[in-house]
Amino acid sequence: MSVPEPDPSQESKIKTIEELHEYLYKGLQLEHATLPPYLTALYSLQPGRNADAWHVIRVVAVEEMLHLTLVANVLNAVGGTPDLTKSGFVPDYPTYLPCGPDYFQVHLLPFSPDALDTFLKIEKPAQAPDEESRLVPVDWAALGLTSDGAAPPSEKMAEFEQSGTILGLVPGEPTQRFLSIGEFYEEIMRGINYLEDQARTAGTTIFTGDPARQVTPEYFYSGGGDVIEVTGRDSAVAALTLVAEQGEGLHGGIYDSQDEIAHYYRFQQLEKGKFYQKGDEPGAPSGPDLHVDWTAVYPVKPDVKLADLEGDPEIHTAAKEFNQSYAAFLRNINLAYNGRPDLLLKAVWEMFRIRDTMNRLIRNPLSGESGLNAGPTFEI
Amino acid sequence: MTSYDDADPVIFPAGAATQTSAAQAASEEWDAVIVGGGMAGSIVAEQLSQSGHKVLIVEAGPGKDLDLAEYESYLSRFYGAVVKDNQSPYPFNPNARMPRSTDTMPVGPDTPRDDFYLVQEDKYCSDTTFTRVLGGTSMHWEGKALRMLPEDFDLRTKYGQGLNWPLSYDDLEPYYRQAEAELGVSAEVEDQAYLGMHFPEGYVFPMHRMPPSYLDQTVARGVDGMRVNLADDDYTLRVRSFPQARNGVPNAAYDGGKGFVPVGAVSTSQVEEGERCQGNTNCVPICPVQAKYHAGKTLTKALSRGNVTIVTQAVASKVEIDEQDRRVTGITIKNYHSLDSESYDTYTVKGTVYVLCAHAIENARLMLASDMQRMSRSKLIGCNLMDHAYLLSWGLLPEPAGTMRGTSCTSGITDLRGGRFRGTQAGFGVDIHNDGWGWATGSPYTDLVELVDKQGLNGKELRRTLGNRISRQLLLAFMIDLLPERSNTVTVDERYKDALGNLKPVVSLKIPPYTMRGAAYARKLASDIFKRLGAEEMTAYDKDRYSAVEHDGQWYNIVGGNHLAGTHIMGTDPTTSVVDHTQQSWDHDNLYLVGPGSLPSIGTSNISLTMAALAYRSSTHIVRYLRAAKAPATVRG
Repeated sequence: MSVPEPDPSQESKIKTIEELHEYLYKGLQLEHATLPPYLTALYSLQPGRNADAWHVIRVVAVEEMLHLTLVANVLNAVGGTPDLTKSGFVPDYPTYLPCGPDYFQVHLLPFSPDALDTFLKIEKPAQAPDEESRLVPVDWAALGLTSDGAAPPSEKMAEFEQSGTILGLVPGEPTQRFLSIGEFYEEIMRGINYLEDQARTAGTTIFTGDPARQVTPEYFYSGGGDVIEVTGRDSAVAALTLVAEQGEGLHGGIYDSQDEIAHYYRFQQLEKGKFYQKGDEPGAPSGPDLHVDWTAVYPVKPDVKLADLEGDPEIHTAAKEFNQSYAAFLRNINLAYNGRPDLLLKAVWEMFRIRDTMNRLIRNPLSGESGLNAGPTFEI
Repeated sequence: MTSYDDADPVIFPAGAATQTSAAQAASEEWDAVIVGGGMAGSIVAEQLSQSGHKVLIVEAGPGKDLDLAEYESYLSRFYGAVVKDNQSPYPFNPNARMPRSTDTMPVGPDTPRDDFYLVQEDKYCSDTTFTRVLGGTSMHWEGKALRMLPEDFDLRTKYGQGLNWPLSYDDLEPYYRQAEAELGVSAEVEDQAYLGMHFPEGYVFPMHRMPPSYLDQTVARGVDGMRVNLADDDYTLRVRSFPQARNGVPNAAYDGGKGFVPVGAVSTSQVEEGERCQGNTNCVPICPVQAKYHAGKTLTKALSRGNVTIVTQAVASKVEIDEQDRRVTGITIKNYHSLDSESYDTYTVKGTVYVLCAHAIENARLMLASDMQRMSRSKLIGCNLMDHAYLLSWGLLPEPAGTMRGTSCTSGITDLRGGRFRGTQAGFGVDIHNDGWGWATGSPYTDLVELVDKQGLNGKELRRTLGNRISRQLLLAFMIDLLPERSNTVTVDERYKDALGNLKPVVSLKIPPYTMRGAAYARKLASDIFKRLGAEEMTAYDKDRYSAVEHDGQWYNIVGGNHLAGTHIMGTDPTTSVVDHTQQSWDHDNLYLVGPGSLPSIGTSNISLTMAALAYRSSTHIVRYLRAAKAPATVRG
């Protein structure tokens, strides 16, 4: 699938390299924000009983890691510095993510129709019908963040942004947001084109990053798409297009340019009980049956917090240990994105530790919670 | 009810559209009929499909569904198995039995008929195995992918031992590279260029080497630089990494800088898995994430072209031959209805060319059961059975060395694979086993039983002692060359039949003194290495085991390597070999015997890579044969 040629009449909101860096940081934050809910649902599945659901969620989670890596490659290529350790990088769940004209809440839930509904909202394709509707004002009252619906004062706004309470705001215009994540990436691509054109006129380029900071296919590969090394405009656009297509099926395709099924359609298969196959129309998968057992799931307490676990000291300790190992994982990934791509190899076994420590929580009932189990709190 | 129950009126489940019924297969004419969907069969099928030929694969195992669900059923069977042997992931199938190392015992006519598959009447019995499911033994192999040494190809000329090959290392070299690409081998050229092995200028393996384990590094500290003298030559030993057919880090310099794209899991729906090796340590009998190559990866490519079809649950029971022109006219198959039933239908499938890829023992068994020795000029079908003779040595290191971390085996000592000493005694390679003493003693289960039952430990003390003991375990496995001996055989015997009435293989394998001289030397070397490492010697051989062999007044246990070969060896003369250098039968024009059975010697390399290289080489000859056979006849005017 080809990306439409940039239309010179579509003006870029991104005017400086700093703004581009800020947009890309927000991209990293958005890509990561989906991981805790996906991982919580994935590991809530009882082993061996939901293989189809397991594989669908797993491959999406792996591809989110790929997206994170692709965005980091773009940021590095344009001379930025990825930082996954900033306070507020990991959202405070439930958090708000944009979907179409509305924000919706993303909870940490066990695998369930509700969780699936959230996943579909996260990945829902939405392309603005025209230039004017790409941006929508944030409805503060609906979010419950201000009582009168007016935008919060700037210091309050900064607090929301820093705590990861609300994601996807337009950098520099925090009362607006993009209609979809796809439109957000579209804006970044416009910015890259605009800035690169400017730079070229001046005889330079914005792709000034050290090539050694790129994560190359040696360090990251999976069944779900390949890493793209970003060295210039074409590869940057290719990387961002892959992120957008693979997520929401931007431009309406079930399959992306690397022949992977977009996440929205992957998840929809769980709802429909059928796999997609080539030639299918969106919404009507016609491949083999897909089996989901909604009961073969550990009953994880939604949005569990450390404070909820104080009645069970051993679980409380395990949850704190989980948060520490997740923070360490992010620190190492961050080092990998800052010139040490070989550290991604180490991340393989760190993922095992994350899985095992999550299992310790998810498979343990909480006392006084009548049938609910513990879960990871992701309070980083 | 098993998951293979046939009650469903749909013959094959969704996702297996390229399978066909035996009746359908028998009603068509195929360009090639391939017996066996293992590594060799899959490579030949894939190569023939590339040249547009219509191929039928006859597979004895169920293999009903080529997707991840079946693979995962293997995994869950393995996880639930009490005895985790090579066959533990695969369903018990009375109609296509597999030898199990746990079944090893001498068998007489009065032995209960269902307790064994490999019939061994001698006192010494090999515990060697092979797997009969779609994918063959590649489903349980370890994934080591060593090339043979140049000197292995002309042992007779060089050292007056064994047999020469009709091919040289250089003849096979391009095909080794082709096989390394297909299997996705992880290695570095600088590690592998030893004892004459050479590579074209600029060659790199598809992926970088697997990192050496901490245990490898511990052993290397004691071994590197160790000098030994053998037959008046000095050798300096070092720990060296093994080439492995498992996904590591792709080498960006591969293929002139194009890089290499690793193959993940085989699946018919989009549920990707199987990226890089995660060091799960249970490479044998099954990799949980398909990081390790298995024939299904090649088979999937072949099937996706649309001109390759599989018929499963079809045990080849007879090669039909025209007595006049000695051409093969068909393969008779017994198509059993389910794993639980002995009822079957018989069909004959027909092609222009026939390719037997059922591994050394089954190829020989099928040919002998088809009375083909009568027409053989060499009378060597089933003779020269080879395997690697494995001698295990185990010791307890003074400090924890991280045993049980990493893949089964990442490094070893390869300096004594070749040299002039091979004039008098066998060469060997040494594997450092990352999975502890399991192969030798049944650890960690036996350790647990001992600590609880004999030492009365429990709780924290038990956990601490068990962890400490296992992480100090060092197992050195010496893989010793076993030369072709005419008297080491696979035969058939009317007294031994399986559930479908097929004759079982009768194996007679004796370990010759040449190999045992290598074993005796290996035993001493192991003790020296243990001493250098400060390890406590724990090796103990039992003369009452079926694996016991006496040499020079000492008893050793020699276990099988599952590297079966030699039962239809290749050569330059129809009176002293069964196939020519293309693996075409000397006696039957339209028959190829492709697989380890054709190897005239196995040296000290695991056989799969060489077998795969030969399969590529033969495929080009089979394509040529088919082209000639199908060319329109010229009518003279």
